[in-house]
Amino acid sequence: MKLKGTYAMPAPRDEVWAALLDPAVLARTLPGCKSLQETGPDEYAMQMSLVISSVKGLFEGKVRIMDQQPPESYRIEVEGRGKIGFVNGGGAFLLKDAGDVTDIDYEGEVKVGGMIASVGQRLMDMTSKMMIKRFFTALEDEITERE
Amino acid sequence: MIPARFEYSAPETLSEALRLLGSDGEAKVLAGGQSLVPMMKFRLAQPGHLIDLARIPDLNFVAEENGAIRIGAMTTHNQVETSALIREKCPLLAKTAAHIGDVQVRNRGTIGGSVVHADPAADYPAALLAMEAKVKLVSASGERMAGLDEFLVDALTTLLEEGEILTEVHVPLERAGVLTAYRTLVQPASGFAMAGVGVRLGVENGTITFARVALTGVGSKPYRATAVEQALVGQGAGAETFAAAAAHATDGVDALSDMHASAEYRVNLAAVQVRRALEDAAGSA
Repeated sequence: MKLKGTYAMPAPRDEVWAALLDPAVLARTLPGCKSLQETGPDEYAMQMSLVISSVKGLFEGKVRIMDQQPPESYRIEVEGRGKIGFVNGGGAFLLKDAGDVTDIDYEGEVKVGGMIASVGQRLMDMTSKMMIKRFFTALEDEITERE
Repeated sequence: MIPARFEYSAPETLSEALRLLGSDGEAKVLAGGQSLVPMMKFRLAQPGHLIDLARIPDLNFVAEENGAIRIGAMTTHNQVETSALIREKCPLLAKTAAHIGDVQVRNRGTIGGSVVHADPAADYPAALLAMEAKVKLVSASGERMAGLDEFLVDALTTLLEEGEILTEVHVPLERAGVLTAYRTLVQPASGFAMAGVGVRLGVENGTITFARVALTGVGSKPYRATAVEQALVGQGAGAETFAAAAAHATDGVDALSDMHASAEYRVNLAAVQVRRALEDAAGSA
């Protein structure tokens, strides 16, 4: 499944960059994130509790951040595993100055497998879009409240 | 295909159901079970406690009151489809219910369960949004009404709060002379709409005076296609108007993509379905 989009974040690029790469901020804004701990340089272990409708699943995984070009671009790799399935993926973030806002372009590909994928295939696209929207909305609240 | 262990309660009153729901954070309400039970069998959902509403008699009824049809949450799709009152006073809803799932699903599945589950491809919302329906939500501390448009927040996400139960759907009586149609193209294996369209059309002396169009299965939640409605009102009812208006079916909507239908295909399908539904409605006079 391919994911692609742009979110206009009403904050200067340096601030957006700092927030996107701050593990404490991510732990508060990633939907369902239970914990995010640094395990090495740019490597994190993450626990996520996914709750969508009546489906609940706990995922444990790794996040790796690569190719950092502050304050412009970086790549991310994610892998997660839980009782109801697994998720592997990677993507690139590109931050662009756009007047009063910073455009965050994201593009990536995610593979979802296991029970959740075979049963929930029809709902996967909309669920991912919803999670991305929730993440950016929470991130925006976090960034704008700080000012 | 065997669910994880869970406790089961079948209260006989709504207040007892609300009390049980409030007292157990692991509890989940069971209506017809046509979405929840399969998820439990796959163990994707593992609620610790099911509160079955089936034995509460006040939740299964159809009644007319103050210019609206009130439908109890536990009314099955089959009951909605065959109710003489609904067929006469809210025909679009009865037509839509006939398209849901298969006979078994329609005999067990309920209008309240479907609306609360908020599947983005469920059939009901296309009709209910086009009819500007409202839902009644009851909790231990009171009750409130919400328009379906605000109730459906996102895919599988609603306004319903913990401890609340949807008890009724209120549908305004159909206006005199308004023509209706529901049209859907389903993915055969799941029976869910890839694009479902509910249409209400008022025509006087060949001119469209009133239009409501809503779609399901296309975006991350069902929606009213207001751009289509605006392109219809004031125009002559006919194939050209319908085709021109239908082109706006997905204005401002981020179409879904899955293995059965790409976003591009869905955008095209939505326009075709809207045009055909408008023709169906106009032809039903």
